[in-house]
This record gives sequence, C-alpha cells and structure tokens, in this order.
Amino acid sequence: MTFDKQIKRRNLLKTTALLGIAGAAGSMAPSLLKAAPAKPKEIIIRAWGGPWVEALKAGVSDPFTAKTGIQVRHDLTEDNEIQPKVWAAVAQKRTPPIHINWDTTTNATKSALRGVCEDLSDLPNLKGTTDLAKPVGVDGYPIVNTYGYVYVLAYRPSAFPSGPPESYHDLLDPKFKGRLAFYNDGIGFHFPAQVAGGGKLDGIPSNMKPCWDFVSKIKAQEPLLGEDPDFVTWFQNGEIDAACTISTNALGAKRNGVDIAWTIPKEGAKFDTDGLWIPRGHSEGDLYWCKEYINQALSKESQQIWLDGLGLPGVIPGLQPPPGLAGDPSYPTKPADFDRLIRISGKIQVENESEWFSKFKAIMQG
Amino acid sequence: MRRNPSSYPLTWHLMDILEAVFSKIWPKGGGLWNPYLMLSPAILLIGLLVLGLGYIGDISLRTLDTSTFLFSEEWSLTNYERALTEPFIRSVIWRSILGATIVTMITLLLAFPYTYVMVRTRSAFLRKFLLIALFLPFFIGQVVRAYGWLIILGKQGIVNDILGLVGIEPLRMLFNYPSVLFGLVQYMFPFAVLMLAPALTAIPEEIEAASESLGASWVETMLHVVLPMAKPGLIGAGLVVLTLSLTDFAMPAILGGGTQDFVANAIYDQFFRTSDQGFGSSLAVILIVIGSLLVWVIFMLVGAGTLALGAKDK
Repeated sequence: MTFDKQIKRRNLLKTTALLGIAGAAGSMAPSLLKAAPAKPKEIIIRAWGGPWVEALKAGVSDPFTAKTGIQVRHDLTEDNEIQPKVWAAVAQKRTPPIHINWDTTTNATKSALRGVCEDLSDLPNLKGTTDLAKPVGVDGYPIVNTYGYVYVLAYRPSAFPSGPPESYHDLLDPKFKGRLAFYNDGIGFHFPAQVAGGGKLDGIPSNMKPCWDFVSKIKAQEPLLGEDPDFVTWFQNGEIDAACTISTNALGAKRNGVDIAWTIPKEGAKFDTDGLWIPRGHSEGDLYWCKEYINQALSKESQQIWLDGLGLPGVIPGLQPPPGLAGDPSYPTKPADFDRLIRISGKIQVENESEWFSKFKAIMQG
Repeated sequence: MRRNPSSYPLTWHLMDILEAVFSKIWPKGGGLWNPYLMLSPAILLIGLLVLGLGYIGDISLRTLDTSTFLFSEEWSLTNYERALTEPFIRSVIWRSILGATIVTMITLLLAFPYTYVMVRTRSAFLRKFLLIALFLPFFIGQVVRAYGWLIILGKQGIVNDILGLVGIEPLRMLFNYPSVLFGLVQYMFPFAVLMLAPALTAIPEEIEAASESLGASWVETMLHVVLPMAKPGLIGAGLVVLTLSLTDFAMPAILGGGTQDFVANAIYDQFFRTSDQGFGSSLAVILIVIGSLLVWVIFMLVGAGTLALGAKDK
C-alpha cells in the first residue's frame, strides 16, 4: 500500500514536472510547440527581387529555416501578375501557386475583399505590434502589414541650390521642364496633387478636380513616367532633377553613390504599407507553418534585420532606425512624424484606383 | 521504276507511322473520315483558341464589383460602353490603329528595296551581308532590342554623346510617339523582308529584261512590272506587319515611357494593375474586332496576297 502510494506520488511528481516544462517551453515558443503538424519540405513566398528579397531572406526566411528546418523558396513573379493566378486557384479549389504573398496592402486588400485570404488574427506576435500592422478598411487581419513607406519628393540637391523644394509648385519652374519623373499611373502623387491643386483630402474620392487640375500643370512640364527601377536609373544618369517615388528607391540610389536627397513637401506625402497574407486552399499543416513564418516576420529580431535592408519603419515598437535615417521624414516612428503623411483607406483606394489611373494617364498621354 | 522506300522524304515515313498507329487503334479505319481525322490536331488547336476567346467574350460582358472584386452574374455591355466612351481608351485605340498603319507603310517602303537588292544582287558577299544584317537582330528578342535603343538614343546615349562633340545639347529622342514607331519599324523590318523575298524571287529576271528591251526605263519597269507582280508579297508582308504592330506591347511600353500606350498596354493594365479582367477582356475583344476588320477590308480590296497560299485571287 505504501509502495503503491510512493509510486503514485512519484508518477504524480513526474507528470507535474513534465507538464511544467512543457508549459514553460510553450510560453517561450507559444505556437511552435502546440501540436505542430507535419512540416512541409518548403514553403513558397512571393517576393520582389534585388535588395528586397535579400532583405527578406536575411531577416525572416533564413531565421525561419534555421528554427524549423523548412526551406523557403522565393518566387519573384510580380505581385500584380501572381494575383490572377492565386484568385483562379482559389476559385477552382486548387492549391495556390504560392504559400505567402508579400504584397502591397492596396493590392492585398483586393484579395481580402474577394475573400481569398486566410484569417491571421491568431498570430501571437500581433499582440506586440503597433496600429500600423492592422489593414485599414477591411475587417480583422486578412493581411498583416509589416512596414510602412512614404512616396517622398526625391531631388538632386545641385538642382535646388537654395534648399529642398518646399512644395510641388516649385516643380512648375520652367527650368525643370523634362526633368521630373512620376509613376506612369500617378500612384503616390494623386493625394499630394489634390492638396497642391487647392483641394482637400476630404474630397477624395468624390471631388478630385483639384488633383487633376494640378496634374495638368505638371503635364506641361513634360515629366518622365516610369516604374521603380526607372527612377534609380534616371537619377543615376542625371536625366531628372526631382521625382515622386518610394523612399526605398531614393535610398537605393543614394547607397549607389548618387547625389540625391528627399523631402516631404508642404502638401504632404502618401504613406502606404506592404504586408503578408496567405491564400486560401492550403492544407492545415501548410497553413500552420505559413502562419509561423508570418509570426516570425513580426518578431523584433526579424523586423530589425529585414527593415534595415529596406530602410523602412516596421510595426514593432523600439526598432532602431538604420544609419542616417533617424529623424528622417521617410522613416516615421512618432505620432508627430505622421502629421504630414497622407494615409487613405485601402478600400477607398481599390474602389477608385482604376478611375484615378485612367484619368492620370488620359492627362499625361493627351 | 519503283523508288526505294529509304529514299522517301521524312514526312512520308512519318505519315506511314501515323497510319500504322491509327490502324492499331482503329483497325476498321475511318474510311472517308480519315482526312478529317488527320486534321484533328489543327482543329484541337483552333478549338482551344476558340475556347479561350469564348472565355474572354464571356468575362467581357461581366462587370467588376469593386466592393468584393467579384464579377457580376448577369451579362451587360457596360464594359464595352465604357471602352468606347472613355476618352483615354478612345485615344489609345486611335493611337494603335494610326501607329500600325504608319509602321506598315514605312516598313514596306524600306523592306522592298532591301529585299530587291538581296534577291537580285550577283554579289554573294552582299547577299550574305544583307542576310546577316537581317537575321542578327531577328534572333535578339524584342525587349532586348528596345532596351538597346534606350542605350543608343537615351539622353546619356551614344547619339547624344556624338551630338555633344559638336556642341549640341542632349536631345530627348525617346518616350514619344515617333520613337515607338521607330522601334516598331525596326522590329517589323525582318518580318516584311522575309515575307517579300519569296514573292520577288518568283519574278523571273527575264521579265525585267524583256520590259527594258521593249523600251521601258528601269523606273518604269519597277512601277509597271515588278511592283504589280510583287503585290501578293507586299500584301502578305503588310498584313503581318499591320497585325503585329497593332497588338504590340513591348515597344510602346519601353520606348513610349508610359506616355504612348497601345491597346495591349491598356489590356495589361486592366488585367494586372486594376484587376478588372472584365474591362480588360472587352478591350481584347475590341482589339480582335479591329484587327479582323482591317484584315477583312484589305482582303476585300486587294486579296490575301501570299497568305492565300496559292489560291487564286478574285
């Protein structure tokens, strides 16, 4: 009887100790040890190429592989070109061609509205994120924003000897004719142009006439129109003096030795985000590990390395800005930094962008 | 005398194999249906294209709901109405038709003398040189060629460097309509020459000699003998250049610098930039209709040229 009791007591102690260890381990790695399903050999992440994918690999993919043993393959298909393939796969109940889409939040919002995104609201690391991680205009977390970026007014300092341009109106000086650049659909410029044209941000999208009036004035300056890589090339070749572009492009040009600076004019600058999302149609096991990947991307260590490479502000408090970007207008961290940044709901953008792009192109190609 | 089977052309052997396989599968044979069965791969290919076109036609009649990014269940002509009333799209359609027409005319004007010299020259060296000059760029993809022009004609390009030597400020030679047309002409030129060469080769030199021996000058011979006889080749080359130019994407995108969109660029934008496949499909259908109409008008006016493949012109 005593022996039995001792055994039972011993068993009880053992069990309690094991439960304690498991509980402690679970709290340290909350999701990994909770009934983790079988691991896939690899997961496929759609990404942008060049320094973008290098930064993701160093900050998120490599640590994820080290931790889980799951290989990460980066698919460099353009975000807007993978979208119809993913939508078709989900509609036809096939396995989507990618596990995770690294996407612009605007583009991802379309997928969220269509209902092809998995819910990410149960990611443990979401608790430690700022409001920036939450997509605006959609319910819950079909997308998790992972950083923000600003469409700055990048300029060649030698072309502005009296100091940085204070307003987009400064670009109407005849000396800049043929020496300005914008995105070919006007993205990033619509909202500051609305202000520059004398309108209000409340007028978006119902009354955008001020925007189009100002775009018409800019058109008279015969600007170059292009995509991300074009801006860097044009600055490098000395073909342009100013451009409305994502700060990462300006930073990339600067890191390549181009004499370039950037500012936020008095009209403000568009602030937007990129994010990660998982298309529906993957097995429960794959979905689990995809969520682990995104959870990893929301850890402070991964954000620090990933976003150091991109020079962009993340969604975890306390990240250290890369050298030279502390206090930079393209690297907002404090609430006051956002005062001159324009953030419009993703839903409003996706509902109206087709019309905005057409209108911008009609003016520029007229 | 009966030929040795080993001397038969390869295609005959292939047909024998096909027949053997066919008789294994269906020993009784298809009788009178055999020729049609032989056509089945082509019918299958065309069928797939028609299926794709059917899908495009269907989706073009559905409008996108931007609150759900799903297409309407009902058909409507909204996308077509938008395409034909939106000033930007109308200007893109007009630019494409005008561009394709100009490119076709310039390409034929340049290709004709080039081809004539290539097929008539007695110098083997010159013929080889012209052939190499023709094929070398032909083997380089369109996108690479377009980027080549960026290097040559850009503000920091070779041409501006040379102009700089004589004190001329750098000129902007790219990102305008002429530069797109220039790139298209350069791209289409080999197609036109290759279509013209058989037609000019088929004109016996003796006919030109006869014309001149009857008192016609070289110019008169060209205008009244060679050109009319080369008409099928010119029509064939013109049709190929016209349809390829009308549907081109890369040259307007790269050399137009976002300011000279053709219909194909607008279709791309709708499919991939704004996710409106319905509107993009309506533009695709309009492009197909315009191309087909242009070809039909040419067929009606001057016949199908070498594309008739030996059928007698009306």
